[in-house]
Amino acid sequence: MRTRLAILMCVASIAVSGRALAHHSFAAEFDDTKPVKLTGTVTKLEWTNPHIWFFMDVKEPNGAVSNWGFEMGGPGQLLRAGWKRDSMKIGDVVTVEARRARDGSNHANAQTVILASTGQRMFAASSQGQN
Amino acid sequence: MRIYHVTAPRAAIAALVFLCATAGTAAAQWLSLPLPGTPRTADGKPNLTAPTPRTADGKPDLSGIWRADTMRYNDNLLPPGTQAPMLPWAAELYKHRVDTRGYDRPMTRCMPHGVPDAMTVAGLPFKILQIPGETVVLFEEFHKYRQIHTDGRQLPVDPDPAWYGYSIGRWEGETFVVETAGFKEGSWLDNSGHPHTEALHLTERFHRINYGRMDLDVDVNDPKAYSRPWKSDTLHFLQQPDTELLEHLCENNRDLEHLRDFSQPAPSTTGKQ
Repeated sequence: MRTRLAILMCVASIAVSGRALAHHSFAAEFDDTKPVKLTGTVTKLEWTNPHIWFFMDVKEPNGAVSNWGFEMGGPGQLLRAGWKRDSMKIGDVVTVEARRARDGSNHANAQTVILASTGQRMFAASSQGQN
Repeated sequence: MRIYHVTAPRAAIAALVFLCATAGTAAAQWLSLPLPGTPRTADGKPNLTAPTPRTADGKPDLSGIWRADTMRYNDNLLPPGTQAPMLPWAAELYKHRVDTRGYDRPMTRCMPHGVPDAMTVAGLPFKILQIPGETVVLFEEFHKYRQIHTDGRQLPVDPDPAWYGYSIGRWEGETFVVETAGFKEGSWLDNSGHPHTEALHLTERFHRINYGRMDLDVDVNDPKAYSRPWKSDTLHFLQQPDTELLEHLCENNRDLEHLRDFSQPAPSTTGKQ
């Protein structure tokens, strides 16, 4: 457990320093100056290389529901950060801290995911910065 | 499973039982794997300041899983505050790559990082296998490898250009010196986009400081892209003990469709020889 915590902290330190973990240019796709924090219900999870994507329904203040898509790191990067492929399941309520896509769509690059059921805050091994 | 039980040595079975008993999850079995070759402190933790391991012939052994200690080298290979002596066409291309935020990096189309920047992707480690006659580098990113021949052969005179080039290595005291030529154009020297031509010749100097740390200096010599040879910053790598590489493939490059299309054409490389 201590080792897993050490790995988690190691990867988290990478996140804090803004290192790149994805395979493409973060800056070309996402805007680091447009943070967004959303809470919603997971509708779809694609646990696949080189980037995991998941989608969730977010209720707008006016009651309308919109579906958002989030890019994360690859499975290996999330495994090292302490994830398992079933850490987040369809139907889970999660809060996501992310950076919005430059094209203004409902896409974003997830930095952290907080599971509502446990309060666990998980680094999403996103591609902030480079690589 | 029955076959395994019959044929496996007792020690292997004991190790398997130990693993199953101690590993919290299936993932942890290879993410946190107490390997027998890891030097340890009295409390059982990996001893990262232990002396540099040696191969049977007494040379430093670079083997192991390594990760760059920062993404800075991947972002820019040069020491902070310095600039590469780019020829005008190279400077123009470099500016375009910076201005378009690296949209057309090779990775955008599932081509891997090259030499030396495949080793500087901090989030995706690499593994060195130092064996007699060659040293192999396995890159987690996209499941790629690079061969460095150490059997005394020379660089080929006219090699077919290759993404990782053609590499030979030799020992100079404690330093593993790798010469690489025969590069194919297309890879970037770093994520900023320092370009190169087929004339590129790299000299890498690896020095394992101790069990936990290895340094690398790179000399870049490409007279068709740069007015003179230049040196990288000293790159630092950290040993990743008691773990393994994981699978990373470009199996699903849908990111391409998400990428904002900075589609203005790259500048014509006027003046390039």
